[in-house]
Amino acid sequence: MFYKEYLKTRWYLLLMLLTTSGFAGYGLLRLHRVAAVNGIGHAWEVMLMHDVVFIDLLEYVPVICGLVLALMQFVPEMYHKCLKLTLHLPVSHLKAVNQMLLWGVAATVACAVVNYAILWGYMSQVLANELWSRILWTALPWYLAGLAAYLLGAWIILEPAWRRRIVNIVVAVLVLKVYFVSEQPMAYFGFLPWLALYTIALLSFSWISISRFKEGKE
Amino acid sequence: MNSVISCQHLTHYYGKRKIYEDLNFEVPEGRILGLLGKNGTGKTTTINILSGYLKPRSGTCQIFGQDIQTMDPALRRRIGLLIEGHVQYQFMNIEQIERFYASFYPGQWRKEAYYELMAKLKVAPRQMISRMSCGQRSQVALGLILAQNPDLLVLDDFSIGLDPGYRRLFVDYLREFVKAERKTVFLTSHIIQDMERLVDDCIIMDYGRILTQQPLDTLLDTLHRFTARVPEGYDVAFSDADLFHPSVIRGTLELHSFLSSDEVSARLTANGVPFSDLHCESLNLEDAFIGLTGKY
Amino acid sequence: MCLTVVLLLVWQLPWLINFVSTPSGHSPFTLYSSLADDFIYNDMGDDKKLRRFGTSGREYTEAETDSLLPFFYMRQLVADGRFPDTIMGRAVTPHEVQQSNLIERFNPRDVNTRGIELYPLLESMPKRVELAMPDDMFRITADGIEFVRMESNDVDREKSERFTKALADKGFHFPATRVSGNPSPRKSYDEGYLLLDADHRLFQLKRCANRPFVKQFDVADSIRLEHIFICEPSGRQLRGFATDDAHRLYVITADYRLAPTAVEHFDPTRERMLIIGNMIDWTVSVTGDDAVRYYAISADDYSLIRSFDRPLDSSSVPGLHFTSANDNYCYPRF
Repeated sequence: MFYKEYLKTRWYLLLMLLTTSGFAGYGLLRLHRVAAVNGIGHAWEVMLMHDVVFIDLLEYVPVICGLVLALMQFVPEMYHKCLKLTLHLPVSHLKAVNQMLLWGVAATVACAVVNYAILWGYMSQVLANELWSRILWTALPWYLAGLAAYLLGAWIILEPAWRRRIVNIVVAVLVLKVYFVSEQPMAYFGFLPWLALYTIALLSFSWISISRFKEGKE
Repeated sequence: MNSVISCQHLTHYYGKRKIYEDLNFEVPEGRILGLLGKNGTGKTTTINILSGYLKPRSGTCQIFGQDIQTMDPALRRRIGLLIEGHVQYQFMNIEQIERFYASFYPGQWRKEAYYELMAKLKVAPRQMISRMSCGQRSQVALGLILAQNPDLLVLDDFSIGLDPGYRRLFVDYLREFVKAERKTVFLTSHIIQDMERLVDDCIIMDYGRILTQQPLDTLLDTLHRFTARVPEGYDVAFSDADLFHPSVIRGTLELHSFLSSDEVSARLTANGVPFSDLHCESLNLEDAFIGLTGKY
Repeated sequence: MCLTVVLLLVWQLPWLINFVSTPSGHSPFTLYSSLADDFIYNDMGDDKKLRRFGTSGREYTEAETDSLLPFFYMRQLVADGRFPDTIMGRAVTPHEVQQSNLIERFNPRDVNTRGIELYPLLESMPKRVELAMPDDMFRITADGIEFVRMESNDVDREKSERFTKALADKGFHFPATRVSGNPSPRKSYDEGYLLLDADHRLFQLKRCANRPFVKQFDVADSIRLEHIFICEPSGRQLRGFATDDAHRLYVITADYRLAPTAVEHFDPTRERMLIIGNMIDWTVSVTGDDAVRYYAISADDYSLIRSFDRPLDSSSVPGLHFTSANDNYCYPRF
């Protein structure tokens, strides 16, 4: 099953990794430029006084990447109902779906880990831990949103009926909005564990679509 | 003889539109059964129910004695499925798709059966399935089924999109495989000539019901077309459950029936039809199908 | 899935209703006038023009209002050539008025949000006239104060030890529970930081000629301070404000004392407060959940002159919210 997901997404995953790393790198470049022009102390001060996090361009990138990953992975399944082939494989349907989703989740998480490693690698050199940890915490809901976007995207794409799919899109947009209601750095700090749990719970949404597919809803 | 497929009291509606009600049929082991019906009579519905992608309003369907909706996933090893249009994963090439499927069927996968068929296709091993013609795709799909070596094959409209050459190739390969290994097949097709070369039994469906289920040979032996002369201006004014679709074209009465010539003659007389010169003709499957379901 | 839909509805529907319905009433700008011994507030008349009323019900003209609030409308009076020589029997100059005027805002958002716990400690006695940002920042840990040099991102051990010792010598118990400072070079003087130590005792920390200056405030043992707010008003008449665990408001005076005020309740985590003061009286407005409480207090001893409440119309549909005007955090709440 992972082989199939790998074939579908390998080039896109590379692109996704490069894109997100590019945005992360650009954030670091901004930080670096501030440091080069006004001294690193200025960067500390603007973070302190104006709550600048330097990587705000990254905000919606994981969401877009997550959605596109869902498209890359599940549109080929829905093309001419290829999903029938997948569900006909001699493995339980639940396992088949979860394996597909697990691939996407693992890819998204791996991408986030690489991004974080890049950000941390540079920032921990030049910023106090209060500052870089604030930046990394601030970005965490964005990456969670990326994961949620992927899972919601899968839920929408796997849904067999168009009318229901539109309902799903509306619900998904509102759910994603929850990840972006506050622009403030660290705003999600206390809520993050719950948000993370909820994001994981989104895994089960695709099963609803699969069940409806099996019932032949159109 | 054991039934591989057994459907009891199947009823299905799309919304309020009834497709069929209380449909019953069985497919015995080792037989090739073709499902025939005009468009909209529920062929695809039946295939979808059988392959587990449609939950009927009521009734049960069992394959190898297990309910399809709750089937043990391992049992699907024994079922080969060809979905409409010979669709296979577009993003794989010939080698990848073989490698992918092989991992799911350890112990039963016959790699050489697949590659034997692929060797006849003039396709590079790395060509994507998305860039193949429908005919080439059908060979890939067939090759995968042959390699899977299932006991039951469910084929949804295998002739769609295929030109006659590929169709013939497909039918011949399939028949050889099935007969050599005593496989059971359930299939639909909208091209009836193909069925005639392939099937042992047929089910002919009309709107909402099964018209007949019997071995093909029996059907073709017993169903006949009768023609007779009738006076100018005569119009069909009787109905008889055993005389199918009587019609008059330019002074010739035409009808189909499982009855013998004598019985038909007696029935017509009893219905007061002023006929003369009754002829009886044997039919091929297509004529039989039209005779039973009518032209309209 | 169903739960998600329900939660989304509970979130979005009330928001939509509140968004569509007319915004709830605001509270008009209100100031106490010692001259009129009355609160004067601006409000829209029926003709949508700005009019001025006293709580007594009397209406004032614009010119009357300027005269009755000479400290607040000083610039207007000076421009009109109407600024008096004496107010309430005190000889005043515009410069004195400007020096003694005070505007301080308190927002629960600032209290409830944990900022970055790094603090630049400015040199309070700079060699140049201008204040300047330092090249390090401090943090207060469980066992000391640590200065982190920004350029090299490492701890200045020597300086950290010096300052830790200075604090400890004055009886400061680490860690700090509150730190309040105004680290900006754009002000006329620097008074460092106000700190509450682990036992909620109040200290000041300054850097004078690169040496630590630590002073403990004289606070009665019975008072347990909860929140502190540093102020550096141009008149230097006070050092800040504080609230205790019973939500009483205190002024931290220039002579290192804690002076109680007539504001009997201010919860900085839930209520907004605005202080507009002059050399005679302060108008303190505390915006709570259902009313704005106005206190006129004496600028000399912070005793009550007069007070009144204005109820707030808060008729919004309850529902699920993620954010609040009171903090910067985001989590579901009703």
